[in-house]
Amino acid sequence: MDARSRILSRVKRALKGRPKAELPGPLHPAPLPDPLELFLRRLEENGGEGRLMRREEVRSFLEALAQGFSGAALGRTLPLDLRPPLPELPPEEAPLGVSYALFAVAETGSVALASEEGRKVHLLPPTHLVLVEAERVYGTLAEALASLEDLPTALGLHSGPSKSADIGQVMVKGVHGPGRLLVAVLT
Amino acid sequence: MRAKARFYPKEAARLLQERPGVREAVTGATLHFERNRLRAYAEVPIEEWRERAKAVKDHVLSHLDRYLEEAERRLLEKGVRVHWAEGPEEAHQVLLEIVRRRGVRRAVKAKSMLTEELGVNPFLESLGVEVFETDLGEYLIQLLGEPPSHIVGPAIHLSLEEIRRLFHERFGTPLEASPEALAGVARKVLREAFLTADLGISGANFLVAETGTLALMENEGNIRLSTSLPRVHVAFVGLEKLLPRLSDLALFLPLTARAATGQRLSTYVSLLGGPAKEGEEGPEEVHVVLVDHGRTALLADPEAWETLRCLRCGACLNACPVYRQTGGHPYGYVYSGPIGAVLDPGLLSLEEAYPLPYASTLCGACYEACPVKIPIPSLLLTWRHRAVAQGLSPTWEKAALKAYRKVMESPALYRLFSKALRGLPLPQDLLPLLRAWTEGRGSLRPSPRPFHELWWELEEKDGR
Amino acid sequence: MGEMRVALFITCLADQFYAEAGVAAVRLLRALGVEVDFPEGQTCCGQPAFNAGHWEEARTLARRTLRVFQEAEYVVLPSGSCASMLRNHYPELLPGSREALAFSEKVYELSQFLVRVLGVERLGEGLKGVRVAYHHGCHALRELGVREEPLTLLTNAGAEILPWEAAEECCGFGGLFSVKLPEVSLAMADRKLSTLPEAQVLTSTDAGCLLHLSGRMAKRGANLRVAPLATLLWEAYAG
Repeated sequence: MDARSRILSRVKRALKGRPKAELPGPLHPAPLPDPLELFLRRLEENGGEGRLMRREEVRSFLEALAQGFSGAALGRTLPLDLRPPLPELPPEEAPLGVSYALFAVAETGSVALASEEGRKVHLLPPTHLVLVEAERVYGTLAEALASLEDLPTALGLHSGPSKSADIGQVMVKGVHGPGRLLVAVLT
Repeated sequence: MRAKARFYPKEAARLLQERPGVREAVTGATLHFERNRLRAYAEVPIEEWRERAKAVKDHVLSHLDRYLEEAERRLLEKGVRVHWAEGPEEAHQVLLEIVRRRGVRRAVKAKSMLTEELGVNPFLESLGVEVFETDLGEYLIQLLGEPPSHIVGPAIHLSLEEIRRLFHERFGTPLEASPEALAGVARKVLREAFLTADLGISGANFLVAETGTLALMENEGNIRLSTSLPRVHVAFVGLEKLLPRLSDLALFLPLTARAATGQRLSTYVSLLGGPAKEGEEGPEEVHVVLVDHGRTALLADPEAWETLRCLRCGACLNACPVYRQTGGHPYGYVYSGPIGAVLDPGLLSLEEAYPLPYASTLCGACYEACPVKIPIPSLLLTWRHRAVAQGLSPTWEKAALKAYRKVMESPALYRLFSKALRGLPLPQDLLPLLRAWTEGRGSLRPSPRPFHELWWELEEKDGR
Repeated sequence: MGEMRVALFITCLADQFYAEAGVAAVRLLRALGVEVDFPEGQTCCGQPAFNAGHWEEARTLARRTLRVFQEAEYVVLPSGSCASMLRNHYPELLPGSREALAFSEKVYELSQFLVRVLGVERLGEGLKGVRVAYHHGCHALRELGVREEPLTLLTNAGAEILPWEAAEECCGFGGLFSVKLPEVSLAMADRKLSTLPEAQVLTSTDAGCLLHLSGRMAKRGANLRVAPLATLLWEAYAG
């Protein structure tokens, strides 16, 4: 008998005669009235920076943003028209990472980043810009998870800049992920 | 990891005496967490959430074999290698095989209480692997060679001054360095480790059976990095971490975050489903080690199995007025505070965990805080009862309780005792029990006359 | 209201260390038209033994207590923890005992009895302007759900309940805990006392808590009146 069989048989024996508890059905929370507004508010409360913009405005936004950076690492699934006018750098070196989110969740102020576009771009550059389509901003986490058909290999829910208060209870940003999270919601 | 719970009374007393800064630091940190939790609980229909979470966990636990098998199937379908470990030996075997086969020289670790139980760090180090704890708090205590003091904030017992001194000695930073500067140094060291590590090790907050998904929560990003950059990722998962459906994460992720730190969701949540696909970034190999290490024994316990609902959020530690005075070290095992007092005897044995169930006044604050309604005070009473039945009580306690019963069983003896309390000069310094009282609280002063005598005067006065 | 009859369970700690609380409780109840009996032979509810895990000793005393009070319609105690012992834990100690179950329904802490059974929320004006630090005993608060009753009665009598950051935190008495883990127990008392507001009196439903806190205050040279809740409620009525 290997460890697996021993463990499983111990579990079965432990549960013998124990009454079975029922599983409550999944939650169906009421849809939230204005997910876009809520998303921006919650993101800001988390220390992130978010704004709404029409797709036509993205070009000028990216141009302005590019002024402050020497280059950017780009997510592989980032649409061409959403790339900043900057030389592409590897994530280990880039001061800016740009991603295209799978979806966003308003109640928690989170963006969902899939491994298809890479993982280093989400984590290594100190500033992270995430673009997300407005119709992919769900009100609740329950809705968002329900909408997923295929799970990516890795899905990251990012809700703000990286932070820690482990040093004398003083909040410090950017240990170890990006210290700045910018989100542009495209209407 | 061996438990040193029996030293709790001495260690707690010593800590209070010799390191008063710990009490101050822990009190500050836990009150802060508590306030945040209360605010976050007040924002949602928390009683509904708690009831529901309890129900889901009870369901999983009462069908655990089924869910373990389902999870294993899904994990295997996703290309994850699944191992089962009864305890440290098998866990070490998994690591040994990987270290040898892949020539691992450096490992990065996310915070995981289970890996502390299993002694993962010392084992890897014995193989010549350089291990980096990457959670900032864990990194600090790794540098100091101390065990974690709290489930969520392992270094809350350290003051800023102590950390400044540590970095000054280790890295030559100035003694007045700001927290930002110190964090910057740690970030640099650990960034290097992330980029060069051959192996990433984590625990898991949840394992979803329906999809074989691992869910991990954090605020720093070190878990995302540890599970993304190295070529091999090993996740140690306690049997009790299972959830039935992906949709259950919509309850458990926010509930755990609110309970632990008062957040709506942790800054980073990783939902992991296997090794990287061709051409994708991510680990080539993902291993999940399903670990027993006392969990099946606790599951079999008809009164204590509910303890396994624990989400490791630390809310009970933050609420506990006893824990607050010393932090986690005196408890002598991985799990301290209220949950430690009921989990340790269940996972290890009552003998090994004694007298932790007595490290409590039964005030009930922990039960109010617990997101899955573990009846900790009731469990503490059960363990105490068992301790007495197993003969673990000290001799003086048994004698004192015997005398107490004799006196209270007989009104005549009780009245005699009452007179003695006032008549004879009680040797308050001699009796160790009384000395333990009077040393910190001054001598006991009974009322000039006990109520049972005054009653008769009341009867007379009121004309009865 | 004149027909109501209660049995007073003074509790061992109050009997010995806060006898005034018993006197106050009896006077107050009688003034409100309640007949009060004091069943002889009452001693201790068994809580110290139960909490320490010595359930055989606790059971003996529980059975005894049930016998002593079996005639009572209501059992009133100037103690939250003992009331909780009788109400919540006797049925656990004596599972299947219908007697214990029936008994538990008749048990009340004093302020709980006044407000919930007698429907009395105003006693008088006797505490006008008195600044009170109210310590919520853990068993009263979390096991009996007694939180508003003492505050209502005190406030309606003119008392000012001062804000106290640590008001609902455990004082560190915990029965045998106070002598099994004295250093931690004292550190908990110090936490309470270091946040104490500028009050004229410290009060609570529980004698154990008051004994522990007043003892610690005395040792540290602090000088604040400590009075059991029953005493203050009588002062509220009698002026």
